[in-house]
Amino acid sequence: MKKQRQWLAVVLATLLLAGALSGCGGKEAETPPAESPAEAQEEAPAETPEETPAEEPEETEPAADEADAAPVEKKGVLMMATTTSTADTGLLDYLAPIFLEQTGWELQWNAVGTGEALKMGENGDVDIVLVHAKASEEEFVANGFGVERFQVMYNDFIVVGPAEPIAHTEDIEAAFKTIQEEQLTFVSRGDDSGTDKKEKGIWKKLELDQTQNPNYLESGQGMGATITMADEKGAYCLTDRGTWLKMKNDADVELQLEVICEGAADLLNQYGIIAVSPEKYPEVNNEAANTMIEWICSEEVQELIGNYGVEEYGQALFTPNANE
Amino acid sequence: MQVIKELLDTFFSDVGVFDAICVTFQMAFCATAISSVLGILLGLLLERADFVGKKVVIRINRTLMGVPPVVVGLIVYMLLMRRGPLGRLNMLFSIRGMILAQVLIITPIICGMTYTTLVSRAPAVRAFAKTMGADRLQTQWLVVRELKKELYFAVVTGFGRSISEVGAVMLVGGNIKGHTRTMTTTISLLKSQGIFTEGLTLGLLLLLMAFVIQSLADFFQKGERSDENY
Amino acid sequence: MRIIDLEKSQGDFQMRTGSFSIEERKIHGIIGGNGCGKTTLCKLIMGILKPDSGRIDYEGLNVREITMTAQRPYFIQGSVYENICYPLKLRRICPDEQKIDGWLARCGLEEKKYQYARSLSSGEQQKISMIRALIFDPKFIMIDETLSNLDPENLELFEQVILEIQKERPVTWLLISHRLAHIYKMCEVLHFMHQGEILASGSKDEILFGSEDERIRRFVANEVIRMEGKHGAFES
Repeated sequence: MKKQRQWLAVVLATLLLAGALSGCGGKEAETPPAESPAEAQEEAPAETPEETPAEEPEETEPAADEADAAPVEKKGVLMMATTTSTADTGLLDYLAPIFLEQTGWELQWNAVGTGEALKMGENGDVDIVLVHAKASEEEFVANGFGVERFQVMYNDFIVVGPAEPIAHTEDIEAAFKTIQEEQLTFVSRGDDSGTDKKEKGIWKKLELDQTQNPNYLESGQGMGATITMADEKGAYCLTDRGTWLKMKNDADVELQLEVICEGAADLLNQYGIIAVSPEKYPEVNNEAANTMIEWICSEEVQELIGNYGVEEYGQALFTPNANE
Repeated sequence: MQVIKELLDTFFSDVGVFDAICVTFQMAFCATAISSVLGILLGLLLERADFVGKKVVIRINRTLMGVPPVVVGLIVYMLLMRRGPLGRLNMLFSIRGMILAQVLIITPIICGMTYTTLVSRAPAVRAFAKTMGADRLQTQWLVVRELKKELYFAVVTGFGRSISEVGAVMLVGGNIKGHTRTMTTTISLLKSQGIFTEGLTLGLLLLLMAFVIQSLADFFQKGERSDENY
Repeated sequence: MRIIDLEKSQGDFQMRTGSFSIEERKIHGIIGGNGCGKTTLCKLIMGILKPDSGRIDYEGLNVREITMTAQRPYFIQGSVYENICYPLKLRRICPDEQKIDGWLARCGLEEKKYQYARSLSSGEQQKISMIRALIFDPKFIMIDETLSNLDPENLELFEQVILEIQKERPVTWLLISHRLAHIYKMCEVLHFMHQGEILASGSKDEILFGSEDERIRRFVANEVIRMEGKHGAFES
């Protein structure tokens, strides 16, 4: 009798715990109905990928087109370190099921800043890296951590911010100069990511010390969080177009920022893919990594990348250029 | 101060460690102070008051003691954002906003711990105060004084929660360098840059400082004796 | 003071005192078996417990002038001296150092004045709790088994103290004790409690020797036999 009671107590405690947690979630969804999941969604893409690709490969439509070939048996897991932009834009969510279908390798990834992604490669924690900081990538290969760098695609950086006082322009240098001179609020990633490096590079090229601007802020967070912060503060920020489009489209608090600078030549954002060296780390899955490189550079997949987002956002998020 | 700042800046990457330390403690002290006053008062009130649904209130309190900080962070963010209900207070991405979030996280903890202690210990103290002819205020004061060790422990727990919290502080504060970057969000940033050793060092530094503050608090909490006669 | 039909239930225990008076300026004793409700009655008088029904007519006595000492007294965190001063502090009375020293010396506790009160032995604690209760001159004093752990010498000391006080400026006392000899020696009026009820009130001789009630006679006889047995064991 006593024992049964104890068991009942344990079961009830577990249930209560679950109830309380779901209660919290419910509350959060209830509050201001129109606005709430804005921030939640922005984080969501980074969290979901681990389950989604493995469990629902059939759902993506293009997969059905390729599925003429007999399904390949599952071979194992390919671990990728990549930047937040590829994950936040949903590109990997889109590609992973197709990759699984066609090659039998299950793609899993860790979406972090370029700095950390390369670090993961250097530590042999992942099999492959997909990042966008050419100089660091080349150094990565030169130091023997990576086998070879293949360019995959690019997207471009844009400056977003209030339409006043900087009017839409192609001249990135003029825009940055105005920000510095008029001490406009600017939110930087400040996390040593590819985007951050790009932005710091522009300041450097202009020989401006951005830290002299009292309204220059470093968020130390991902692109999505940084755009949200810039929106809140009515500030400017440099972002990749993919994340911007996705945010603009999906966030349920409408962003009030606008694209104020785009199209400059040095705003291109080149992605490279590098297999982690099996000589340095014999335990990495080099076979899968090579399959991935070959696959992603193939014409067919390049075309998929080129079409990704056209339907949803009206323009492609990435431009494939593996064959250039 | 300047010396320490330079020392830290030479040792750590350019992530604003010195400012982060200042912000952390400024935030933690304020949040703990406010939460302690609120939490202890609420705890006292909860123990004294008798009303319908008291059990439910206590259960809610217990639940809130374990509320995930990010959820609180998200709620506070939504309240404070420009187009949120409290947007005009201009508290998003500020230390005041972070303190608000932390107060919401810590107060239930201090309140719950206070309540639990009081329920088991206060009746004896109150009965004694009655026999000595203490009035209401004197009784309440004696309860607080007699249970100060337990209340102090509740406050210390709240403080520990405050300096170690990262989720809500990241959302509401925004991890802005030199303004709202705390030690924990710095560690998170360092991790995202792949600079693990510095993150770990900073973590140890945080622990060390918590230890020093703990020791100081213990030192000023003089005259503590265990009750030997059982 | 008049107790009017107090009722109080605590768990399985039902208390129903009936009505009776506690005459002023006399030493009263309450006797009865364990769990008969003696302490509960004291707590009701003290105001620590609220009765379910019935009331107490204090007849002009301020509750602040009532005190009660427990068998295991509570001590605030602090020294013996701080504890004795506590009731004075509550009344903003400046403690009379000499008087306190006098009390401590009389109980043989002068050495312990600045010791942490909770670290003392239970006998010492009981003595301090008595001093603490007497120091602010209350008008109604309930002693709930507080003298139980005292050796005969110290017990006699406090018996003397009580009698002295009664001679100088009589107050009302309510003694609870299982030592019938002590009760017989001290009390003028006795109240016998049984299962939460006051069965009889009267002079000590009436209750201890002249009661018709089987339960009271039984109780007294049992207590006497118990004491005898103890003494017998002592002598052999």
